[in-house]
Amino acid sequence: MVQMVITGLICGALLGFVMQRGRFCLTGGFRDMYLTKDNRMFYALLIAIAIQSVGVYTLISLKVFKFNAGSLPIVAVIVGSFIFGIGIIFAGGCATGTWYRAGEGLIGSWIALAGYMLVAAMMKSGVLLPLDKAIQETSIESNSIAETIGVNNWLIITIFVVVVAFIIYRELKKPRLKIPGLKPKKTGLAHILFEKRWHPFITATIVGVIAILAWPLSVATGRIHGLGVTTPSANILQFLVTGQISYINWGVFLVLGIFLGSLFAAKMSGEFRFRIPDTKTAINSFCGGLMMGFGAGLAGGCSIGNGLVMTAMMTWQGWISLGFMILGTWTASYFVFVRPSKKAKQSTQVITA
Amino acid sequence: MKRTLEVMGMVCPFPLVEAKEAIKDLNSGDELEVQFDCTQGTESIPRWAAEEGHEVTEYEQVGEAAWTITIKKK
Repeated sequence: MVQMVITGLICGALLGFVMQRGRFCLTGGFRDMYLTKDNRMFYALLIAIAIQSVGVYTLISLKVFKFNAGSLPIVAVIVGSFIFGIGIIFAGGCATGTWYRAGEGLIGSWIALAGYMLVAAMMKSGVLLPLDKAIQETSIESNSIAETIGVNNWLIITIFVVVVAFIIYRELKKPRLKIPGLKPKKTGLAHILFEKRWHPFITATIVGVIAILAWPLSVATGRIHGLGVTTPSANILQFLVTGQISYINWGVFLVLGIFLGSLFAAKMSGEFRFRIPDTKTAINSFCGGLMMGFGAGLAGGCSIGNGLVMTAMMTWQGWISLGFMILGTWTASYFVFVRPSKKAKQSTQVITA
Repeated sequence: MKRTLEVMGMVCPFPLVEAKEAIKDLNSGDELEVQFDCTQGTESIPRWAAEEGHEVTEYEQVGEAAWTITIKKK
């Protein structure tokens, strides 16, 4: 138990710290692929996936632990991920993003988190469980990409790493834009940790390493999984209302760690302040949180569980989920950002005419 | 001429969306001061200014999680 508390909190705190300082926002990343045709954050995610994939499969090859991809509840993954994608646009951050923004003092993220935890718990053991089970029933036997194609996992990983390496090479070769920054007020290590802008690829590399680290730390406590946010977030609420200690696991401390790590990072960099949202933002955050909880519960993971971890495990679940999650963010972005600005343009044209 | 846009309390990406709208009404050489408290904006607003070729004449953290940036229209 003590080990679970300590390693979970440390791993989570590292992740929360790095995400806060590195502005590692997947929601913004997915959204900007569509809104500003900017793929940098998506490429950063691919880097984190590649690093984790190599690391975790090395551990599996060394027989540190066994991994079974299980079956693929295809309908649940597609529908759930799409709804999750819509939810994170309304909530202004994915599940992990919401945890770390809560650490920055954003009350809107606290509201989103409440909705998210509530529906996630309803899906895991509450009134929505029968619905969840019914949709999960449509399932394909093999979830492992390598198994379906009939090749070794390492072949898939090697091809993926080569593709990612090519993308990074092409991105870094582009002429660099000089972006005006804040005047540094700190020096040395304090400047790097609490002030400097981190390149998304550097942040992604560290996230990838933390994602590897999560596996053996979690496995040591009996939880055979890496980073995960949805189930642990639901577990917190389940534990609080039932008092059953069986809901407590490594993941619970991981998500609490994300909050604490981000709080520490934000405090140290002068970026913490309680910020109250207006009514519209507060309602959007809550509705987004509800959709996030439903979607991630159904899909068996959020942008971290499916988008970062199950992708690295080279499962259909991970990649299909990532695809539909991104489609969900684009669909919501159209209705939240693109259509309103088009309408505004039309109405001004009418006035000038 | 200098225009001030106060978007404190707005979350990402709305400060940037508002800034993009506001700068449309300005003439070349006019300045837009954006006061914001969204952490992600510290990255996205100067990046947008640089990409569009506008000059950032002032950029400062004015308090705990509060920033001001002044952009001179291209």
